Amino acid sequence: MPNVKIRNLVKKYGDIYALDKINLDINDGELFILLGPSGCGKTTTLFSVAGLIKPEEGEIWFGENLITSADRNYIERPQDRNIAMVFQDYAIYPHMTVFKNIAFPLQVMNLKREEIKKRVFDAAKSLGIDDLLERKPKQLSGGQRQRVALARAIVRKPNVFLMDEPLSNLDAKLRVFARAELKRLHKKLGITFIYVTHDQIEALSMGTTIAILNKGKIEQVGEPDIIYNSPKNLFVAGFIGSPPMNMLDGSLKKKNGSLHIDIGFMNYKLPNEMQKLDEGKYKEIVLGIRPEDVLISKEAVNKSIRAIIDIIEPMGREYEIHLDVAGKSIISVVRKIENLEIGEEVYLTFNDKKIHLFDKNTKENIFATN
Amino acid sequence: MSSHEVNQTETLDILDDLKWGKIQSSKAFKLSKIKKIIKRVILYAILLVALIITVIPLWSGIMSAFKTQADLSLTSPLALPSIPTFEPFIYAWQELQRPLINSILFTSLATIFSCLLGSICGFVLTKLKFKGSNTVFLLLTLGIFLPYQSIIIPLFITIINLGIYDTMWAMVLVHSVYGIPMTTLLFRSYYESIPKSIIDAAKTDGAGVMAIYRRIILPLSILPFVVAGVFQFTSIWNDYLFALILTGAKFEPASFALSNMAGGTETAWNNTMAGTLLYSLPILLIFVLLGKYLMQGLMAGAVKG
Repeated sequence: MPNVKIRNLVKKYGDIYALDKINLDINDGELFILLGPSGCGKTTTLFSVAGLIKPEEGEIWFGENLITSADRNYIERPQDRNIAMVFQDYAIYPHMTVFKNIAFPLQVMNLKREEIKKRVFDAAKSLGIDDLLERKPKQLSGGQRQRVALARAIVRKPNVFLMDEPLSNLDAKLRVFARAELKRLHKKLGITFIYVTHDQIEALSMGTTIAILNKGKIEQVGEPDIIYNSPKNLFVAGFIGSPPMNMLDGSLKKKNGSLHIDIGFMNYKLPNEMQKLDEGKYKEIVLGIRPEDVLISKEAVNKSIRAIIDIIEPMGREYEIHLDVAGKSIISVVRKIENLEIGEEVYLTFNDKKIHLFDKNTKENIFATN
Repeated sequence: MSSHEVNQTETLDILDDLKWGKIQSSKAFKLSKIKKIIKRVILYAILLVALIITVIPLWSGIMSAFKTQADLSLTSPLALPSIPTFEPFIYAWQELQRPLINSILFTSLATIFSCLLGSICGFVLTKLKFKGSNTVFLLLTLGIFLPYQSIIIPLFITIINLGIYDTMWAMVLVHSVYGIPMTTLLFRSYYESIPKSIIDAAKTDGAGVMAIYRRIILPLSILPFVVAGVFQFTSIWNDYLFALILTGAKFEPASFALSNMAGGTETAWNNTMAGTLLYSLPILLIFVLLGKYLMQGLMAGAVKG
């Protein structure tokens, strides 16, 4: 199986850059996620890999094979790429039975009847739809349709498996199952998956690598852990995580020989490993702290600030607590809310090891690890 | 919503109406009912007149077809034949047998060709869009507005030069080509409603253009084929002008032969009417057989736009 290389991919719609010099390296066997808000270019990237869209610039390689090259005006047809794709609306052929839907890619390949039958049954069985083979798509539920689309994709043993938000039409409960099932499928097949989604939970839970796109540009590529714990810039930090990261505007200040950030309602002393920061270099700083790293206590402790509980949102397993700190809103997520009440005065501290500093000018994470 | 809830809200509505005096006294209620009936009577009277005007020629035609020549001059055109006879039908069948077969042949062929070509054009113009495809479509649909009469002379010369004057192929060729704009319009609007993702899926499944057309588009096109087919069959069947210009004695279409029956110094109206009925049969048959699908197709087009 080949790895997929994308080089300087540009796609314009009128004057708008849908893709603005995209570079990606997707290793063999990865479950690679393209994540971003709507209109960020993730689907355009996927369709370019599929050969359904012709880019204005750039190249796409499958291993050693150049399959798209804008310079040479070469684009290998989708039907010659040995890819399989699952579409957002599943795109099941409405006039064919489930069997014929799954058999379609094999019939196009002119395989023998017995061979087709065997492979269709195998694919249907592995997805648990072997009892639906005679049904028409109209008679299927959303989850069943999605399985048919998956079966049709795996039946031809493709080089690369492309998925365009395959779970977005399923209800919440089914989505959790389908997520696990897709992950299992990926492990079993060992094929490269390229998976487009706007759902960060899907991305974080399924992906081996995530690429975050915004306005046709790649913001960050990395493993889910790194994306979450070391966001490269303000966009990634704000996009990943729910509830989102708390962002506090401030500026660097030297006080008593050590660096602080003045965020208005407090002077936050930077932890030791951040003290070496060149204070002249950064004018404005954004301090980012994830809600689960904002700790609440009833009594004042070292480096704590006073806050008033604004709202408590029970989320089942945990609670989202909206705090009012001198007019600014900070969200904290806690497991327990023993004796906490709305309007109560509490003290909050930040987990020193989990704070992020961003340069407000460049929007980059100052201490990004990659 | 459960039925229980519905009942409850209904009861509440009635209570509300009672409270606000919306339910009229029984006298006023009766008056409004009478008004309604009068309106209905007037409407049906108008419809009845329209129906009679439409049916009278048809009725007199059918009656005449069963009358002898003598009966024709003795009875009123609307009266029942005094001695019903099949003579006119036997005569008309002898006269029209060959032309009817001719017409069925070229009408069927031209219908199939124009529908198939329209379907291919519609497919290309919606699913394989290329630069300028909209302009091509616009130019193509201009063909609908091109009056037959304006091209008659160059068409005649072309057909002569092609060496197919007075043959079936002249009629097949001209009607196939003339049908393309209309069928393309029809198929194109139908294909617009087929999602693009299905075509993309077929492409990634390994299908080429021909396979997509044959295995995906064509099987999904039964309805537009019926609609376009009936439309084409009727208009080609009824054509007289092309038949008059492009055929002669060797290959005589039925529309042309029928008008010959009515020509000459003295017209035997009973024979002509019997011929006309024979001539109408295939179209009637098509509407009876395909009427259900035709309605479905027209409705589908109307809803999906």
